[in-house]
Amino acid sequence: MPQIDSIKQISDVVWEIPTSYKSGMLVPARIYATKKLLDGMDAGVFEQVTNLACLPGIVRNAYAMADAHWGYGFPIGGVAAFDIESGVISPGGVGFDINCGMRLIRTNLRYPEVKSKVKELVDLMFRLVPAGVGVKGTLRISESQFDEVMKYGVKWCAENGLAWEDDPSHVEEGGFIKGADPSKVSRQARSRGIGQLGTLGSGNHYLEIQVVDPARFFDRGLAKHFGIVEEDQVVVMVHCGSRGFGHQVGSDYLRVFDSAMKRYGISVRDRELACAPFSSKEGKDYYGAMVCASNMAFTNRQVIVQKVREAFSQVFHREAEALDMHLIYDVCHNVAKVERHSYDRISADFLVHRKGATRSFGPGHQDIPAPYRAVGQPVIIGGSMETGSYLLVGTSKAMEDTFGSTAHGSGRTMSRTAARREVRGAELQRKMLERGIYVKSATMDGLAEEAGMAYKDISEVVETMDRAGISKKVVALRPVGNIKG
Amino acid sequence: MPFRFLPDVAIADIAFEAESDSVNGLFESSALAVSDIMVDLETLRSDTTKKVRISSEDLDRLLYDFLTEIIVVKDVDSLLFREIKVEVAADQKSLEATMKGEPIDRGRHLLRNDVKAVTMHMFGVRREVNTWKATVVLDI
Repeated sequence: MPQIDSIKQISDVVWEIPTSYKSGMLVPARIYATKKLLDGMDAGVFEQVTNLACLPGIVRNAYAMADAHWGYGFPIGGVAAFDIESGVISPGGVGFDINCGMRLIRTNLRYPEVKSKVKELVDLMFRLVPAGVGVKGTLRISESQFDEVMKYGVKWCAENGLAWEDDPSHVEEGGFIKGADPSKVSRQARSRGIGQLGTLGSGNHYLEIQVVDPARFFDRGLAKHFGIVEEDQVVVMVHCGSRGFGHQVGSDYLRVFDSAMKRYGISVRDRELACAPFSSKEGKDYYGAMVCASNMAFTNRQVIVQKVREAFSQVFHREAEALDMHLIYDVCHNVAKVERHSYDRISADFLVHRKGATRSFGPGHQDIPAPYRAVGQPVIIGGSMETGSYLLVGTSKAMEDTFGSTAHGSGRTMSRTAARREVRGAELQRKMLERGIYVKSATMDGLAEEAGMAYKDISEVVETMDRAGISKKVVALRPVGNIKG
Repeated sequence: MPFRFLPDVAIADIAFEAESDSVNGLFESSALAVSDIMVDLETLRSDTTKKVRISSEDLDRLLYDFLTEIIVVKDVDSLLFREIKVEVAADQKSLEATMKGEPIDRGRHLLRNDVKAVTMHMFGVRREVNTWKATVVLDI
């Protein structure tokens, strides 16, 4: 981290940069980190989180979570809530991969039963779930059906035989965010997206078979609520987003906002922070299009999960229902949404941007599906393909402190080019196999870029959020089979 | 290569700087850099030709829109390119490009990263004495 004299420690793992740090800051910036993570954060995090604090209408604090690293405009791991009337909306606060998120499904299988089948499962899922550069999915839909996908997400899937009955309720926002406006989506975005449902994409996206780690089974009582009942129980995690569709919506509106800011008299410190009043035409248009992309992303992950169920069913010669392959949950980690929050005796709707950050709603919240409402929302934190991932649960403290938000993953510390210099894809694949992780990738270069050493220590990130009380550890999940896009 | 990667600019993504002694050359180099990030160009043939016309407000945005078009064509038509010829109009607000490549073939092409988007971070075209340069950061 750079030298910041005015940073003060608020608690064990919470740091604050006051508004006096930079001219234009309207609220303080709060960083969630252990001293070790804080020292290791790149200068961009501090620059960007304090830039966020300057955006019109921001309330309370600008936040950087423990996995924060430099992003475009907003840092990855950034959270900012805005007043609905006076605040702005920023495509840079969502990211290009709109509603990139995590999905976790359970099985009633244990690792000893699955071990000899991991290769077969991964190879089959690799065929069923297209991954890599420019891939198209197998689901063919019409333009009008694509409009329905944009508006109704997983609800559309349920009505069209692509979801189980309880799937939509186990997705953030019940499977679709309200307020989609397909008329605000460009022709280019439509053309990019219509053929991509059920595709994994590339970069850091993955589909992974994981096993409940007996040594890090933190809260068995809570885990039971999510259907995780045994050591070595097998689960499947999906990490991907809205593919070219969302990327194009992001690109289109970055251009629109880049030009529109002048009209609203807004100047920002970084072109990627381009924003417009949420109540403006541009703000409303972007929100309507961004929601379309979010609902497409929910649908994309749903179609992938149907393929995962198909693969397990085929390999184990049992119906997916008999394998208890229910959705544990699906969370967004790149999104802006209107949510009701309370602080300092204020209770109101706010526009909450989470970019590389996860919703972490605590017990009792009405948006949590009934079976989980008493304990809190499942929070899915994806690690690198080598180190594993975590299931956590949302807390009341997150509601009080961070607009119901927590971290999303481990965060890169090494560039893609540097990672490729350090390790070759084929060598990494062999070493991972030796450690019991079978990996299949659409690209060997891309595989090398996603090596575990290129990421922060996810355990330290999760520990920080747990100590801060804004999400609580439930169980760690160890990878045994991975498809990297 | 008429472009070089900038490994320290964008940790999670890929940045490059392209240069040429002409605007046309700069656009061609930048487009090749985007293609090179997606596929090993040596494994690509030049069987299919695609022509595009693009108009924008200024030279900066013309390059942004042109590079975005290459990413769009990759998703919509499944085409990647290894030979790219660009004619930028005298007012620097429009261009015509002729691009040669072929449809993605997973068996034969050495594919790399699927580029999500061109970002505005550090984005810009500039002229330094007799050299045109562009810095581009791509979201991966």
